[in-house]
Amino acid sequence: MDKESRDMLLETADRFFSERCGKDVVNGVEKGVWPKDLWKEIEEMGLPLIAVPEDKGGASGTLADMLAVLRVAGSHAVPVPLAETALANLLIAEADGVPATGPSTLALGALTLSGNRVSGKVDRVPFASVAQRFVTVIGESLAVVTAENANVTETPTHAGEPYGTVSFDNSPCEFVGKSAVSADRAFELAALMRAMQMAGAADKVLVTAVEYCKQRSQFGRPISTFQAIQQMLAELASHVAATIATAEAASCDADEGGLADGGSFSIAAAKSQCSDFAQKIAAISHQSMGAMGFTHEHILHHYTRRLWVWRRDFGSESFWGAKIGAAVAKAGPDGLWPALTASRYAA
Amino acid sequence: MSIPKLEFPPFHLPDEAEALRGEVRAFLKETLPKVKKTEDRFSSWNTPSPDFSRELGKKGWIGITWPKQYGGSERSFLDRYVVTEELLGNLAPAGSHWVADRQSGPLLLRFGSEEQRQAILPRITAGECFFSIGMSEPDSGSDLASVRTRAEPVPGGFRVNGTKVWTSGAHRNHYCIALVRTSGQHGDRHKGLSQILVDLKTPGVTIRPIINLAGRHDWNEVTFSDAFIPESCLIGNEGDGWLQVTSELAFERSGPERFMQNFYVLRELVRVLGRQPAKRAAAILGRIVARLWTLRQMSVAVAGMMQGGKSPAIEAALVKDLGTIYQQDLPEIARVLAESDATTEEDMADFLDVAQYATMMAPSYTIQGGTTQVLRGIVARGLGLR
Repeated sequence: MDKESRDMLLETADRFFSERCGKDVVNGVEKGVWPKDLWKEIEEMGLPLIAVPEDKGGASGTLADMLAVLRVAGSHAVPVPLAETALANLLIAEADGVPATGPSTLALGALTLSGNRVSGKVDRVPFASVAQRFVTVIGESLAVVTAENANVTETPTHAGEPYGTVSFDNSPCEFVGKSAVSADRAFELAALMRAMQMAGAADKVLVTAVEYCKQRSQFGRPISTFQAIQQMLAELASHVAATIATAEAASCDADEGGLADGGSFSIAAAKSQCSDFAQKIAAISHQSMGAMGFTHEHILHHYTRRLWVWRRDFGSESFWGAKIGAAVAKAGPDGLWPALTASRYAA
Repeated sequence: MSIPKLEFPPFHLPDEAEALRGEVRAFLKETLPKVKKTEDRFSSWNTPSPDFSRELGKKGWIGITWPKQYGGSERSFLDRYVVTEELLGNLAPAGSHWVADRQSGPLLLRFGSEEQRQAILPRITAGECFFSIGMSEPDSGSDLASVRTRAEPVPGGFRVNGTKVWTSGAHRNHYCIALVRTSGQHGDRHKGLSQILVDLKTPGVTIRPIINLAGRHDWNEVTFSDAFIPESCLIGNEGDGWLQVTSELAFERSGPERFMQNFYVLRELVRVLGRQPAKRAAAILGRIVARLWTLRQMSVAVAGMMQGGKSPAIEAALVKDLGTIYQQDLPEIARVLAESDATTEEDMADFLDVAQYATMMAPSYTIQGGTTQVLRGIVARGLGLR
């Protein structure tokens, strides 16, 4: 997708989410109301198929195009598995499958595949109870299992999204194909997807806090005019800017390096860094907004709670940190600087 | 969304710059063991070595972007970025020429007279002429416009009186560019300020050490007592000092030295943790590396913006803020980690000495080149808060 088309798509998506994905929709999902119409419209816009080739009904966008859309979705706390479905559909298409309609999710974990049947259990599968399909990579195979052939125990997250434990017991697959990516790589791409959603959410947190502090008046003047608040918000801005920068850098490296293994080090670094900064971003934004931002009434928690959950999804800062740390230690002190400038690691 | 976007568009250094990286690495591998040892155990951009700077000058890598007629190589700003980050990443003692290469030379190139350029720039690029910064005074730190040093016009030049402080390397360097008041009164703020080129051997200029808390003599107090500075040493126009000095600050803030000054701490940490650290130790190490990697992505992005003709002042302030806080966190995280996870007791003890020194130096990072308080003020202005 050229820059102009992408910018146009992002603008359209941004406007669409602003209009159709308000506070009530996000709160509704937390109460267990599936936003059927929102999902339908998202599908009509073609967003879940953005990185799928045209001959399979998609928009032939790149991985970077898809990730850019997910960043926008993150900045609206879109409470449906758009990210999971978009990545699943990309992986299905790359495995010579044809993506179906309906919400899907990624069940990435220690599963076994025997012939056409999947067994095993995966915890904390996002949107497990609303997904119509579970997509996974086992060894060299990509497997798709429909919801009726899986057993889901709902374990809602602290962000109020319907995560769950998914068990497969010799479950028949709807589709099995040769996967274009390894199981580890699928997990890496999922981490990158979350990092970009975190970038979007972080951005929204900053905008929300800045706007609030400009409007909120105490001691007869907007609190944004107090130096203490200005310093806090400037620090918040630096963490938010770093979160966006690191996710975008990884997105670019992954896209340019190819789906199979591009930007491996960058993704590990980006997810580690995004997860690391999530706490500071949440803490400073809540501090700057006082009691108001701590209420359920306000929207700030839609974003801070997601940051807290997303930092754990698909590898926390410690998970990815351990991978980078092991690789850096293995290469020794002389390998450190070349690794930082080359952005490659073999973990 | 009504606040300006703080974006750092991913930027790849071009192939020529990456090719230069290889050359710089090969040169450093060969040269670093040969240059005269400095008193510092680990070197960085504040470790002087005239010997090393001369060798670097021979390669054409000081003032690398400047016109050939002044000894430069007319290469891109991104080539310069690669040279500077390789010096830092390989712990080269780059302190002698650093300020001249980073800001004094570019300032002369932009505002200096032809005579000044011809007299000074080729000596800088040869690695033989070193500069100090003459901005701060006892009563002027963050509020730079309040400088009191006065250069009174007299026949043929100026008679200068006043005091500059925190003047790094003045006892070793050849010149200092001083911000002085040439007209008007103290309260006139930005008006009536000028920059002058001061030969540090000038009669009436006295240099006294200011020792820092780590016992190092980097800083000096530079006192002017009726020092005569010839008219030919005025840089740019009389009264344009404020405009010039703020353009100089942009060079001072945006470089990789703001997060690579204590890179040796991380390098040594990798050494003492050994090739197979425990998972917990690897995780902490990896998180630090991820943070540094992110800073570098942001810094390279800023370099890309500058190469593209933009002036990313807010972005540069942001990177300096994040980078210097990282440099302060690093010795603390590393100290605790080495205590629990260094492979041998001997390594642990040695590393704790390294970390102790790094901890003592750390307060300077968030002060020099613009305090964190001032930088956050710049960012706050960028957010529309003031």
